[in-house]
Amino acid sequence: MNGGFRSVHPSVALLYYAGLLLFAMLLFHPLYLLTELTAVAILLLLQGQGRPLLRGLPFYLLMAGSVAVLNPLFSHRGSHILFYFLDQPITLEAILYGLMMMVVLLTLFIVFISYNYTVTTDKFMYLFAAAAPKSALLTLMAIRFVPLFQRRLHQITLIQRIRGIDVGTGNLRKRMRDGMTLLKVLLTWSLEEALQTADSMKARGFGLRKRSAYAIYKLDRRDVALLAILAVCGLIVLGGWLQGYGKIEIYPRMKPVQFGGGEATCFIGFCLFALTPLWLEGREKWLWRSSQRNVYLSATPIKTGPHLMSSRSR
Amino acid sequence: MVKFRFPLLIALAVFVAGLALTAAFKDRHYMLLSLVLLAAALVPLFVRLERRPLESRELVLLAVLSAVAAVSRVPFAALPSVKPVSAIVILSAYVFGAEAGFIIGAVAALVSNIYFGQGPWTPWQMFSWGMIGLTAGWLRHTRWMRSRAGMLIFGFVWGFLFGWIMNVWYIISLPEAFSWQLAAAAYVSSFYFDLAHALSNVFFLAILAGGWTKVLERFRKKYGLLQQE
Repeated sequence: MNGGFRSVHPSVALLYYAGLLLFAMLLFHPLYLLTELTAVAILLLLQGQGRPLLRGLPFYLLMAGSVAVLNPLFSHRGSHILFYFLDQPITLEAILYGLMMMVVLLTLFIVFISYNYTVTTDKFMYLFAAAAPKSALLTLMAIRFVPLFQRRLHQITLIQRIRGIDVGTGNLRKRMRDGMTLLKVLLTWSLEEALQTADSMKARGFGLRKRSAYAIYKLDRRDVALLAILAVCGLIVLGGWLQGYGKIEIYPRMKPVQFGGGEATCFIGFCLFALTPLWLEGREKWLWRSSQRNVYLSATPIKTGPHLMSSRSR
Repeated sequence: MVKFRFPLLIALAVFVAGLALTAAFKDRHYMLLSLVLLAAALVPLFVRLERRPLESRELVLLAVLSAVAAVSRVPFAALPSVKPVSAIVILSAYVFGAEAGFIIGAVAALVSNIYFGQGPWTPWQMFSWGMIGLTAGWLRHTRWMRSRAGMLIFGFVWGFLFGWIMNVWYIISLPEAFSWQLAAAAYVSSFYFDLAHALSNVFFLAILAGGWTKVLERFRKKYGLLQQE
């Protein structure tokens, strides 16, 4: 379903994700990072994307968790020595730093899951097709060829099986040779046909003039407002970061975390930035629910509870 | 807006680069800087692609080869590190040259990750596979690459180099712990994956080399593709 945050103009979505990635890599503060992590995780759940999140999670935890383990083992800076492991001091600071880096990596991974769902390839290409037309066209064609080639390879496999060329039977040598034959057929067939496509493109005037770009998305008033909100909030956070907010110092010794006025402004800006799509998504859900209940009363049957039934029967 | 697109993009790039440098020098936080440097390595070759007069046939050819490389990753998705992509990129670069090899490798990484999931590793893979193509293209006229064994060794070496480059983005997230021991630990732990990649490169190059180069050479001659190099 293309509603909520998925329905915004690609530039808004790209600004949001670019900002999130930038902040995840710049801000070094557990409060900010955990806020971002939670915001994106909730956004994914609201969009019904819990499954890809769960599927990727073991790999991501392994990857990020190993950072948390490796850092204290190899970094011995810090003033609070907890214990000695193989004659090497394990410091509290190193453990905390490792945990922070783990959160940074987890945030990056989860932001990318959400990015994959929201900014589909056509949206990305729409934004960059005008700036780099040849690379964009090349990439788009390659993306389009992937499912086509998979289908073709399946067809080739079926046909060649009748000739006895089958990757599934025979000894290893024969299988390898057969697999190579299949791939070679795919290559020849696809190249031959793609070059015909190219000739047809040329016949229709490709490359005569500067390429025009087809614009399917329209920047409406809501998108402009969103762009403005995100830009202002993002600049507040960046300004705060340059002032030294949004990061904590762990090495060489943990400094007590202070939370003053400047830090609060920076954090509020960050929250507004990170939570904007959640508001869009939640509002959409809420509107949909209320419209189901009130406006289309005749179309959607009201769920009848037990006491309604009994009152009708009386 | 359209008129100012390039100045705007350049301004944005400079801005992000400035942020990255600040983060690297003030906070010793190198992740952003590494991405900026990668982008700086990738952009010039893509700019060259944009600048040069390119026949539609050549563009389509590059797209087909990138897509074949990307598709070839699918049947082996279950086996980590076993990717025929490198072998296909090497063979394409061998026939069509360094620049084409770079573009094919980088686009194949980008496209296959649309199906396998984009992540912080995407630019690193684009860089690594692009470099495989670039070096294979540079060396294509040498006696080394012309011999069958030389090409197999080339694939084997790049199997390890690929893994080592991919380790960098992981090590870079631990600037405080950086030491040769950490690097050694990362490289030792990835050794079996790198070995699998290297051996699969040799395997795929061995079974693909003769047939594929013949097919590609024929197409290059028949349609006069990418021959000015």
